[in-house]
Amino acid sequence: MSALIIFGLLMLLMLTGMPVSIALGLTVMTFLFTMTSVPVESVALKLFTGIEKFEIMAIPFFILAGNFLTHGGVAKRMVNFATSMVGHWFGGLGLAGVVACALFAAVSGSSPATVVAIGSILLPAMLRAGFPKEFGAGVIASSGGLGILIPPSIVMVMYAVATNSSIGALFIAGVIPGLLLTLFLGGITWYRAKKGNFPRQPKASWRQRLKAFKDSVWGLLLIVVVMGGIYTGIFTPTEAAAMSAVYAFVIAVFVYKDLSLKDIPRVLLNSASMSAMLLYIITNAVLFSFLLTNEGIPQSLAGWMTEQGLGIVVFLIMVNILLLMAGNFMEPSSIMLIFAPILFPMAMALGIHPVHFGIIMVVNMEIGMITPPVGLNLYVASGITKMGLSALTVAVLPWLYTMLAFLMLITYVPEISLWLPRVMGML
Amino acid sequence: MKWFDHLEEVLISVLLAAATIVIFVAVVHRYTSGLPLGAFQDFLLSIHLSWAQELCIILFVWMAKFGAAYGVRQGIHVGVDVVVNNLSPDNRRITIIIALCAGAFFTALVAVLGFNLVWHNGMAYAVLSTLGMETAPYYEGPTTPDLEWRTWVVYLAVPLGSALMCFRFLQVLVNYWKTGELPHHDHGHVDGLHDTDPFPVVEQKP
Repeated sequence: MSALIIFGLLMLLMLTGMPVSIALGLTVMTFLFTMTSVPVESVALKLFTGIEKFEIMAIPFFILAGNFLTHGGVAKRMVNFATSMVGHWFGGLGLAGVVACALFAAVSGSSPATVVAIGSILLPAMLRAGFPKEFGAGVIASSGGLGILIPPSIVMVMYAVATNSSIGALFIAGVIPGLLLTLFLGGITWYRAKKGNFPRQPKASWRQRLKAFKDSVWGLLLIVVVMGGIYTGIFTPTEAAAMSAVYAFVIAVFVYKDLSLKDIPRVLLNSASMSAMLLYIITNAVLFSFLLTNEGIPQSLAGWMTEQGLGIVVFLIMVNILLLMAGNFMEPSSIMLIFAPILFPMAMALGIHPVHFGIIMVVNMEIGMITPPVGLNLYVASGITKMGLSALTVAVLPWLYTMLAFLMLITYVPEISLWLPRVMGML
Repeated sequence: MKWFDHLEEVLISVLLAAATIVIFVAVVHRYTSGLPLGAFQDFLLSIHLSWAQELCIILFVWMAKFGAAYGVRQGIHVGVDVVVNNLSPDNRRITIIIALCAGAFFTALVAVLGFNLVWHNGMAYAVLSTLGMETAPYYEGPTTPDLEWRTWVVYLAVPLGSALMCFRFLQVLVNYWKTGELPHHDHGHVDGLHDTDPFPVVEQKP
């Protein structure tokens, strides 16, 4: 009963369009004041202690690092490198788009920014080369989401924080699924280009490839700094994030010279407000999950599930449907913070590995960004392609189906996610 | 008001930069103090940076609370706007006003709750003893583990930030009432895209 009231209230508040964070907080306050005798002090204390964890502080650092490198110049280097490597195959520029999105998204950490940056450079080029507009839009909109699966990923940090999992293990677990999805998206791009006989670019010489690699490698080394640092134990994840922010600053200002020192205050301000927004959602999500636990909702849901004798297969399908639906309305961080505390105890009761469950959730978020009617990437892509949302929805379908097939694979073959972290001794 | 807006922007930017530098220095210190550098090593070993994590958290809590207020002014806090955007103009206007009022109400509530907690956990004692008055029912309040700062000073960020956030919601509300416009943040903005030459490709003849 209280579960119905809580979720009903949350839905009602969110539908007024108020920030998700405020809706979460108001739900908690309203419920506590009217329905329970929980002392207000305990709530007030949560407001302070909600984000006092060093792990959470990785988020502002990763955002800062990403913002230093979210620049047209970096995007262009990635596109150059990708085109020199795969441009001569079928669907050349499209394939290059997939690869460039994967690289840029991993470094910048923002899906919408990836769609805009890579899209603004590649889409006009694809049109001039003779590709249909729908094809280009489909490639960019769907590949733009790769960033939340390829580490370092802020959404994974959110999951780790919400469920007390290891950030390092999640990052390592994301590597193979990330590469595999890039391969899947590239595969469907290649197949459709071959069928449509779309143009190819001339093959680049090894000298050109080497030069393009040298240009882009400084940005890509950011991933190495983070992953290498965490894996070897030199840094904790938060320290790795801070080091990557300093690294990104040096690269952007002194190596790439995309930014001058007078741009730095603006980058700092944008990163601070973006991080503050996410931390504010976290604070309120912590309150919300405190309320749920206090009312025993995750536990009773988990109990109900075992009572019904629902197996892993049915549960995971329900999770997929639920998250894909939520992906239509909210952005990934909010979904993660609201649903992870509810679904996690059920997943544990069924014996699903916490890291595997995290990867399943992240892949769902990614697909949610291009599912109609309101996937975030669709919106952004419609801005740069000047195509309507319904036209774009049709344009992304082949990639959407591919991603759904990939989701099934990830959901039911845990080893794809768990093999690498296990081999590396992180589980 | 301009100077106040500017102060807010400078504050959160500086907090972010400071936190980054603190962690960077702490990590560099941890590894360089293990190197055989003679007298310099002794100097490094004499510095203790065990408080760096705690300072970083404090800096970020302050950044988060004031940054959230700045975010209201920028329209960065995302909500679910599918339903609202499909309402008739009149209903849309009413719903948006309700949502903004709810924001102002919640942040005001948090400010009051937060201030209450801070007051009873050390602030009252500090204020009353400075004024030379009877501090009887109040106590000094706890301190943080590493830096040993008074926690009420650290936690003051919550009531102050939330009060500022409430003020920003009211500002946005008044502005919406007058002009019908809401601040909007472009999440897909990327610099340096339009000053580059078009990407070279082999064009196909139509």
